[in-house]
Amino acid sequence: MKKSALIGLSVGLFLSCMLAFFFGENPLKVLKILTLGFATSRYEMGLTLYYTTCFIFSGLAFSIPLRAGLFHIGAEGQILFSGFVAGAFSMTYPTSSLFLVFFMTLLSSVVWATVIAFFKIFRQAHEVVVAIMLNYILSILTTYLTVQYFQNPNSQNPETALLSSSLELVSIDPLKKYFEGSPVSVFFIVAILTALTVYIFEKYTVKGLQLKAFGANPIAGRRIGLSDLKMYSFVMIAAGVMTGLIGLTEVFGNANQFKVGFSPQIGFIGIAVSILARQNPLGIIASAFLFACLHKGASDLDIESEFLTRDFSKVVQALIIFSVASAFFLAPQVENYFRNRKTIKSNPSEAAK
Amino acid sequence: MTDHFLILFVISSLRLTLPLLMAALGGYFSEKSGVAQIALEAFLLAGAFSAASLAVYTSSLGLTLVGAFLTAALLAQIFLVLVLIFNVNSIIAGTGLNLLAMGLIPIISKGLFDSTGSTPSHTLTDVWVWWPYAMGLTALGLVIFLSERTVWGLQFKFSGEKKEALQALGISPKIRQWQAISLGAGLTGLGGAVLSISMASSYSPLMSAGRGFIALAAVIFGGWSIYRVTAACFLFGAIEALQIQAQSIEWVQQRIPHIYFQLTPYILTLLALWFYKGRSKAPTELA
Repeated sequence: MKKSALIGLSVGLFLSCMLAFFFGENPLKVLKILTLGFATSRYEMGLTLYYTTCFIFSGLAFSIPLRAGLFHIGAEGQILFSGFVAGAFSMTYPTSSLFLVFFMTLLSSVVWATVIAFFKIFRQAHEVVVAIMLNYILSILTTYLTVQYFQNPNSQNPETALLSSSLELVSIDPLKKYFEGSPVSVFFIVAILTALTVYIFEKYTVKGLQLKAFGANPIAGRRIGLSDLKMYSFVMIAAGVMTGLIGLTEVFGNANQFKVGFSPQIGFIGIAVSILARQNPLGIIASAFLFACLHKGASDLDIESEFLTRDFSKVVQALIIFSVASAFFLAPQVENYFRNRKTIKSNPSEAAK
Repeated sequence: MTDHFLILFVISSLRLTLPLLMAALGGYFSEKSGVAQIALEAFLLAGAFSAASLAVYTSSLGLTLVGAFLTAALLAQIFLVLVLIFNVNSIIAGTGLNLLAMGLIPIISKGLFDSTGSTPSHTLTDVWVWWPYAMGLTALGLVIFLSERTVWGLQFKFSGEKKEALQALGISPKIRQWQAISLGAGLTGLGGAVLSISMASSYSPLMSAGRGFIALAAVIFGGWSIYRVTAACFLFGAIEALQIQAQSIEWVQQRIPHIYFQLTPYILTLLALWFYKGRSKAPTELA
């Protein structure tokens, strides 16, 4: 994380505290609940790490396409659809191999991600618009299909049946045992490793540098032979894998089934995570953990504070997005201002030039 | 099909078109002036909530509408400061604004009415029932007049097509964007007021139900032209009405699942995007 991101983060948290104060709460207490709620027990820690897992993936799903200049806000729909496919496929073929289920899940989200890429490549349609439409389509579609064709017969809630014992991973998960059966799973380690891999890929491989060059200047990129087709479909396939991994994390690492509405807008929080980290994959690990703490702490606000509810976490997220995004613009300007003033003081004639 | 059915259908599709149309007018102003707008949902919610709470306190329709307009326009100032002064990407600022509206409204509602859910129902029932239609028509007329018949309309559209041309005339494109987006947000807020005052008797959480995004879809489906955007709104409103009407007819219910009606606006927009060949119709400086 760079200096401007840290400044933006502190301004965002400060504004949230002021707002909490305005609503008649003790700002320090709210801040403490929001940030330190994860440390109360091993179970709570595990829950926070589960959110961290999801946010790392969704942060990467936003940051990788942005390297090539694409605003990928379609993660939410893909997360729902991949979770649905994981649940529905393993319900239909309970004896199939784990590898096949994982493959189908990742494939399902990759397909929708490439749909966005194809609209961009072949029709120059704005990727944000296509993604918004797909988010709605996929959310309506998964709910409908789950309730109509894959409903768990033993439950009133809209969800698929529990995984068969041959596909179940939760009972043999080593991390779960340590964290007292909380939602965290071995996918946490996968997430960290993925972020590290993406970091190395973006920094040290030719393809990674090509992506960066293409994102910075597509016209120059096309001149040196990087086609839209190659670049955009590559980043969107990578983003699709990331969102598919969130579906796997939920179904195979936590719930053992697909529940309609399981995602507390993980895809959109990924945008905030990625902005705060400034698209740096290592920074994304840190900022995912921070947002996981905030998310976890927000659910405690209901019980521990008199006035504020969990909705306050959305306000905090919004304020952090606003202040971090403006800090990237403001910080260099403030720095320049002070530098100029110093030059004027030390050497007035120099500054006049 | 009887006459009775047809009349009901026409009235309910007009009713459902209104909030959509108001939001689409807001989206039209913003997109045409060159700023991508995904925060229509936030403006709708802000308008709906402020209208519902003002209606409880004042029970005056005029004040309620002015309040809804101003609240949404005020919320837009945050967006505008971020986008036009701090150079924040409009998609990021819009995402943040949606979050802010969804998070702040329950908290304010708790402060005012001691409930994070719905506001108490208001008593604005004995007013002229056709006011939303009158308001919708006036707004549509105003927008068409402003954007097609005035110099100001030409200027705000140029800030979305060719900024330099406007600058050459000594007019700041940012000021035109500022005016257009504030006005648009206010209109969207009025659309929210229709939702909570006319179509329901109180504000309930997330009552816009994605209408902000359907309105954005209508702007794109209409190819960023005010007449076609209006037509798209009527089409999407009719589809929604058809969905509600179809639920009462057994023949349709058995053969066409309601999901098709729900999905149609989004799928139509995607098809339009695919067959329009993209950017040719979008404002050139849209970002």
